[in-house]
Amino acid sequence: MSAGPESDGENLLQIEDLTKSFGGIRAVNHVNLTLSKGELRCLIGPNGAGKSTLFSLLSGLHKPEAGRIVFKGEDITFLPPFRRVRKGLCQKFQTTRIYRGLTVNQNLLIARRDHDSSENGPLSWALKTLGLDDQGDRLAGELPHSAQQWLEICMALATLPDLLLLDEPTAGMTPDETSLTAEFAINLNAQGMTIFVVEHDMAFIRQIARFVTVLHYGCIFAEGTLDQIESNQDVRCIYLGEQ
Amino acid sequence: MSFAYLVSLLYQYADNIAFLLLAALGLMIILGVINVINLAHGELIMMGAYITTLTYHHIHLPLPLCMILSVIIVGLFGMFLERTVIRRFYNDKLGALVATWGIGLILSQGFLLLLGPSMQSVPLPEWTVSFGAYSFGGYRLLLFAIAILVTLGAWWFFYNTRLGVQTRATMQNATMTQSLGVDTGRIYLLTFAGGSALAGLTGALYAPTTTIVPLMGTTFVDVAFITVVVGGGANPIIGALTSSALLSMVSTGLSAAMGTFIGRIGLLIAALVVIRFLPQGFSGYILDMKRRRMAREAE
Amino acid sequence: MKRNRIFEILPLLNGPMELGQGRNFWILFCLFSLVLFGYALVGSVFSLSNLAIFFAYVPMGLGLGLLWGYGGVLSFGQAAFFGISGYVYGIVAGNLISTPGGTLLAAACGVVGTMTLAAAFGYFVFYGQVSGWIIPLLTLVLSLILETFMGQTAGYQWRVGSVLLGGYNGMTGIPSLNLGSLQFSGATVAYYLLVIGTMLIVYLGLRVLVNSRYGHAVAGVREDPERTRMLGYNVNLIQVQVFTLSAGLAGLSGVLYVSWGNYMNPSSMGLLAATLPVIWTAVGGRNSLIAVLISTVTLRYLADALAVRGGEYAFLILGALLLTTMLFFPTGIVVSLARRWHVWRKRDLRMPSSIPAETNQEREDS
Repeated sequence: MSAGPESDGENLLQIEDLTKSFGGIRAVNHVNLTLSKGELRCLIGPNGAGKSTLFSLLSGLHKPEAGRIVFKGEDITFLPPFRRVRKGLCQKFQTTRIYRGLTVNQNLLIARRDHDSSENGPLSWALKTLGLDDQGDRLAGELPHSAQQWLEICMALATLPDLLLLDEPTAGMTPDETSLTAEFAINLNAQGMTIFVVEHDMAFIRQIARFVTVLHYGCIFAEGTLDQIESNQDVRCIYLGEQ
Repeated sequence: MSFAYLVSLLYQYADNIAFLLLAALGLMIILGVINVINLAHGELIMMGAYITTLTYHHIHLPLPLCMILSVIIVGLFGMFLERTVIRRFYNDKLGALVATWGIGLILSQGFLLLLGPSMQSVPLPEWTVSFGAYSFGGYRLLLFAIAILVTLGAWWFFYNTRLGVQTRATMQNATMTQSLGVDTGRIYLLTFAGGSALAGLTGALYAPTTTIVPLMGTTFVDVAFITVVVGGGANPIIGALTSSALLSMVSTGLSAAMGTFIGRIGLLIAALVVIRFLPQGFSGYILDMKRRRMAREAE
Repeated sequence: MKRNRIFEILPLLNGPMELGQGRNFWILFCLFSLVLFGYALVGSVFSLSNLAIFFAYVPMGLGLGLLWGYGGVLSFGQAAFFGISGYVYGIVAGNLISTPGGTLLAAACGVVGTMTLAAAFGYFVFYGQVSGWIIPLLTLVLSLILETFMGQTAGYQWRVGSVLLGGYNGMTGIPSLNLGSLQFSGATVAYYLLVIGTMLIVYLGLRVLVNSRYGHAVAGVREDPERTRMLGYNVNLIQVQVFTLSAGLAGLSGVLYVSWGNYMNPSSMGLLAATLPVIWTAVGGRNSLIAVLISTVTLRYLADALAVRGGEYAFLILGALLLTTMLFFPTGIVVSLARRWHVWRKRDLRMPSSIPAETNQEREDS
């Protein structure tokens, strides 16, 4: 499928004919998708459409039955997850999996691995913007839920990614927090970070207002700008049922 | 290599399988259902042996009755352990491991202090079967038969009785089973009691064949642990059968060729190799294969 | 350059991953160290020798504290690695008895040899990503097999070079470590100083390690291995590394032990011996290095005292102690006391990050 309109033209991620089944269900069904460098792409679809599975294939938690994933020109289809992170592909998971018993600083220390903190502009900016830069000595488990989500995003940023996968980053957030997160994503993308977001919250999607991919029963159902998708009758149907 | 020699190898193979099955089955059932490793398992076996021996020498009951007494008493003791200690470690496998190790120490050292370093054994029933130039102990053949019967009995229990089905359900999804009205606490209690009773049975059965010392449990757990590791906790019966079949092959073969000690090292190495490639043991692998087959058929 | 490195290490020494930080702790620590060293001037050779052997076990205990408390892996293998190191040392030192520096080479062989075996064992276990209970079981089996094997190596045919393995009675006549004419045998002040020094260096070194970035990664592996994997860490490799290091520390204790007693026998690798490091670590509190150090020395001292009048009760008491600790003091007795001390002094109620906020029982098993 075509690349989004706001891009440098260079393909960061190519998904070719990717397929994955669980039990008898084809969760991801011959998906083809391309992401350009510097893009901010949203992935939406009804429950069970296969969005999380697609992400788990990208981060390496699962291996596909067919197809391939090319990242920065390299075939990473069967690469172990930790190597993908080292290559610059990092996912922020749907359920927060921060180290609850460690402080914020310690969480970030682990996420940084060998990188020097002063080299990571996006991370420093993110910590300040999300209000985490003065929470360094607080136990991660004591943070409010939204702050935990933001900490997890910061940890992903600490790995110096070229592609950031966000799996439902606003789950459990209030509308204000959701709006803040959307603003954050836009600004992060403006600094050059390629972001791929899975979200249910349409308010979030609308605020971002970029290129959208719709997944349904494991297949790409539609792709287009936000306006195109919103006015697409078929997309309405899959969300609201046949009318 | 004469035919009689092959028969003697077969006898040793059966003997080894019996030993592994009887030593490990109770431990594997407890692991499979409750997700807990009972490191006092060896001491429960030891208790079974001691009870049989004591009742035989002091109360002069016939041997089979002494053994039944062992099973009952060790089973009840298992219930006691479950209620007092094991219950607190349902979600803490390693904690249960360490705590039961403490219990095992108390038991073995306690028996040492109370009953001394050794005890006169129960006499071994004198049955021999001859084949060619070899004669085989009939008692150990009986043990093989009992081992198979007990395993099949456990299988029958898990698949054909209401309690057994409930136990399997608890094993697969305890929360769900509980919300369907099954008293999972009772299931855990009975499972631990059952596993302990099996340990008691093992001790009782092998009491005539070995010296009765407080640390005798270690000879059993030595192979029991390996059997458990190779079998995996996914399905105790399948795991116990496949694991003992394979491991006995390794140990019988190596022992015949290079001595019993190499046989034991061979078991440890076999275990390391198996878990490297089948981390969930045989039963985990078989379960995996089954699921994949079902998935393919569903398409 | 060098100045910078030292200043980088100092904060690591006092970091959040270990119990005991701040001025008061370090003052106490320095005081105790001075007392320990000073005792060498005052104490009789006999009492020095007795004390030294207690401290010689500390590296082994700390190794398990690192592996279990910080790494989350329970191993019963410390005694096995202790013994292997001792036997290898005995073999090499015995054969190189007339070679200058032979004992030092033997010490290196002992520690490296045991670490190699540990790495091989670790490869099979950690790269398979097995369940947590597999390692305690397999390390127990390893101990049993080693004890049985070495127990039946009596007789002249069981020798390496000119050194007899000795069977059940063990290897005797193992030469002590020596540096030229300086002998580090059991009844010397030199040995006592060597052991104290080693113990302190190991403790301080481990403090730096657990507070370093690598140490935090190890804690991350303990808390949530999958998460740590998804942050780019080769978790399997880290686990093998920590396992190997822990075995190396046990090997270090093994070398110190044979230098003290000039013998090594199979019971040092057996089941009961395998239990001891687990008891020290559990009773003290596996998540804190200083707690493990204290409980190792204390329990070894108690066992020694018991041996004189009632040695047969020793393991019964240890078993009861272990059970009691697991039931009522799951974070360890020393650590629980420290927690109460913090609360009593109404200071910072937060425990060091090495100690999980909730005990294992409150956590869902993974």
